[in-house]
Parts: sequence; structure tokens; C-alpha cells
Amino acid sequence: MKTLALLLALVALLAVLPFVGSDYALSFTIQLLMFTSLAYSWNIIGGYAGYTHFGQVAFFGLGAYVGALLVGAGWHWLAAAAAASLAAIALALALGSAMLRLKGSFFAIGMYGLARVGENFALGFDGITQGGTGLYLTPTDLTPIYAVLAAIALALIAFTHRLDNARFGLQLLAIREDETAAEALGVRTTRLKITAFMISAAAPGAVGALYASYLAFIDPATAFAPMTELTTIAMVLLGGLGTVLGPLVGAVVLSVVNELLWSRFPELYLGLVGIIILGAVLFMPRGIVNAFAKRRWRWVSAPRAGLRRLADAARPVPAASPARTPAE
Amino acid sequence: MSTLTLAAPRSTAPGLRDDILVVEGVSKRFGGRIALDAASLEVRRGSITGVIGPNGSGKSTLFNIVAGALPPDGGRVRINGRDTTRHGPAQVCREGVGRTFQISRLFSEMTVLENLVAIAHGKSDVEAVERARELLDFLEIAGLRDKWGSELSYGQRKLVEIARALMLEPTLMLLDEPFAGINPRLQNRIVEHLDALRRNGLTLFFIDHEMRIVLEVCDELYVLAEGRVIARGAPEAVRADPAVAEAYF
Repeated sequence: MKTLALLLALVALLAVLPFVGSDYALSFTIQLLMFTSLAYSWNIIGGYAGYTHFGQVAFFGLGAYVGALLVGAGWHWLAAAAAASLAAIALALALGSAMLRLKGSFFAIGMYGLARVGENFALGFDGITQGGTGLYLTPTDLTPIYAVLAAIALALIAFTHRLDNARFGLQLLAIREDETAAEALGVRTTRLKITAFMISAAAPGAVGALYASYLAFIDPATAFAPMTELTTIAMVLLGGLGTVLGPLVGAVVLSVVNELLWSRFPELYLGLVGIIILGAVLFMPRGIVNAFAKRRWRWVSAPRAGLRRLADAARPVPAASPARTPAE
Repeated sequence: MSTLTLAAPRSTAPGLRDDILVVEGVSKRFGGRIALDAASLEVRRGSITGVIGPNGSGKSTLFNIVAGALPPDGGRVRINGRDTTRHGPAQVCREGVGRTFQISRLFSEMTVLENLVAIAHGKSDVEAVERARELLDFLEIAGLRDKWGSELSYGQRKLVEIARALMLEPTLMLLDEPFAGINPRLQNRIVEHLDALRRNGLTLFFIDHEMRIVLEVCDELYVLAEGRVIARGAPEAVRADPAVAEAYF
């Protein structure tokens, strides 16, 4: 219920913003929604399945180029974004079975390498991509792009809430905790990982295409920027890895802090952001949401609360009986 | 103790031995060291069968080969009449095999309920939750339902692992040292539960060092030494075997 109430409040806020906010507010919110979507997508494979990596920007960059090229060929930006999403899903499917054999730092670095391959292909195939010069698009009205980005972000929040309370989410967590044990207990780990990887690639592909339309330009350095990747990961870590609200909280906090520092300390802001992230990781290693959940703040839903409600609905849980409970 | 519904055991013709697990001449080497040397055994459906042996005798290797965690170099494994020699762990599991681990491998950042529900197959969430509750009741650990895996004691983890393996509704349960490191009171409780599971039609196959329990609970016992089966039979007969006494006792 708390997540539903939050979603409704967000929908209301996002619905009125284009009518009451300035162009600056609209532009800031577009970037916030973009990062929120990227953070939620990364959270599925990095947070829930535990396959942290530095290569999501490969799907974002691919989406940006597919979108820009299709818009350049006369497609509507929305259709181009849908095609970009499918392209990213196809890439994830093609790479998934090979890349997801890698574990831990090998997978993280392998995915970083994939992003660099994408950047170099975008530079190298200059007959198609215009290389370092980049592709220029006709500027379009930002409000519909904003609306689609808002819909994507909200859909991802709703999906994550469902994932958190579904067996699929539990099985991803089982993979994160102990993949060997999960497999020995019959969890189809390879299939689940590839599915999660494909889902986590879908939104970045679409968002990349929307970003190209928003900027009316894309070049390899923008499409495959390591800073986009690191910001996304920092948002998830700051908010809470593998939680429903963590990516949203992290995206809002980091975007606001970023914006405030950038406007006041343009030369120092990146360093200051780095210090803030370092402090947050040191003092709240499991993120803001988990830190508050631990203190039982009522606005934070307990993880997998839906499953617990289901069990409570069946029969109330009996109190633990010390006489019956082994206590080695 | 509450009753429990398990997968229905197969019936077989009277007088015929119905083996749920057959290991035929299985061998395994690690580099130059022979871990298993043409080991063979059969586990009768509905029995409690144990494997004992000194450290390094090949018990864990045998167990891991049966569970699909290790491929054998030679020989065959059949479960429920199907050749599972080259099956991976998830496939073996889907042949109706549940297992526990020597060192607890509960998912520590999940509650007990989530540990059980996560691995349920072919059930809706409501059915999975209901089954989990039934198992927790059966093992008398319903009070642990909402505890995190990381909050459980060693003994509680052993019981929850048994409940988790039962979520798979196995016909054969592999228990890797279920009595190791726990006090005699809890050992006795686990014995009672295993006996109740056997009466419900489940076949139990385990390895352990706890001789008191092994001799008490097993219908049939195998003794491994240096990768070979050196004795088999009823516990008392095995105990009286001079070869076993030399190798083990």
C-alpha cells in the first residue's frame, strides 16, 4: 500500500510539472527520470541478481544510436525508442549466455569492455554514425518525451515492487546469495539470469533513444559516457541495492545534490559529489532505504511485505516457543 | 508431530527390490588421487540408507556425484530408473531429489519463509506459502517463519535446510552430515523427523560421522574406505565386520 501511495503521489506530481514548472525544471526532471529509469534497470541485474557491472551504458548507447538513426530515417521518435529497446533486448539475449558465465569482478569488467567496444564501433563506423562528429537531429517538443520517460520510470518502479514480492525476485535474490546452492535446489539460474539481463537492458535502450531526441544530438562520448554508468550505480548504492525504493531515493538525492553543487561550485562539484558518495557508502553501506528500514521508519515498506501478508492471510504465525526451538 | 503429505511412493511387485538410487562402478580422480574407485551402491525406495567412512574415504565425492554437483570419470548413476550421470544439479533436483548441505547454505538475507518459497516449483505463490507453512509446522519451527537466515542458530539452520529440501516434494532426500555439530537433544529430534518422513514414504540417503545415530536410524549402511565400498548391510552386521573395524572403528 505504501508503494502504491507513493506511486500515485509521483504520478500526480509528474502530471502537473509541465504545466507549472519552468523549462529548467522540465529539463532537470527529464534527466532525473532518465537516471531513475537507468538506476531501476541496473538494480534488477546488479541489485537483485547480484551481478554488478559497469556496462549498462552499452545498452543506453546502442539505444541512442538506433533511435537517432531511425529518427534520421524518418521514424517517429516514439517508434524509434521502441525499436531501440528491442535492439537492446536482442543484444542482451545474444550476449547473456556468454557474459553471464562470468562472475563477480570478471562480469563487471567484461561488461565495461562491452561498453568500450560499443563506443569504438560508434567511432569507427563513421559512415553510419558520423564518428566523433556525431549525429544531429531536428529538435522536438520535450513535453511528450518527458511524459514517456515518466511512464517508463513509473512502470519500472511498479515492476520492481512486483518483482520484490514475486518468486522470480526471490529466485534472483537466491542467485545473489548463493548461486551454487540455488542451482542445487532446482532454480534454473541460467534462464533466470538471462531473463533478468534482458529486462534490465530494455529500458536503457529506450531511454538512450529518448535522450538522443531530447538532446537532438548524439556522439560516442555522450552515448557511452562512463559518467552515466557511474552515476547510475552510485544512485543505486546510495539509495539501497536490491530494494524497491532505493533507486528512486538515490536518483532524487544525487540529482538534487549534483545540481546544487554544480550551480555553486562548478569546478569542484564532481569532487564534492565523490566525497558525499564515499561518506554515504562508509556510513550507510546498504543505502539510505535500508538504513531507514533498519530504524523501522514507517514510510519504508519491509522487503517482500506482500509475501508476508500472504502468509499472515493464511494463518497467523505462532509465537516462537523456546521449548520447541533448537538453540545451538 | 503433525502429518505431512509427500510425493506418493511408487509401488513395486512383492518380493522385488525397488531401488530409487543405483550407483554403478562410479570412479573419480582429482589429479593423481583416486577419490572413488568403482564404487557401487543401491538405495531401496522408502529406506534410510547411510554412508560412513573415515575422512578422505570418498563420501562427499560420492554424494556430490549423486547430486549432480560433480561429473564422475566413469560409471553410472540412476535415480528413479533414469540415467542422471551427466545431469547438472538443477536437473538432478528435478528428478525428485532434494538435498541439504554439510555447511549450511541458507540464503541469509531472506527470511525462513522466503528461503522455502524461493525454490518451490510448479506452485502458485499461495500454494507455495501454504506448503512452506505446512513444512514449518511439521518440523516444529513455525515460530522461525519471519526470522532472517542470518539470525538462525546452527541447529535451526539444519532444520530449515531440511524444510527447504522438502519444498521440492522429493522422492529421495540427500542429507549431507545432518547431525554434525549439533547437540544430542536436537540430533534426537532430527532422527524423529527423519523417521516420520520415511514413514510418509520418503527415501533418505545420508552421510555422517555420528556413529550412534547412524547405527540407530539406518536400515542399510555402506562403508567406504579409500574410495571403495568395503562393507554393506544392516548396521549391526556392518559393525561386526572385521574389515570395517580395521578401516574405521
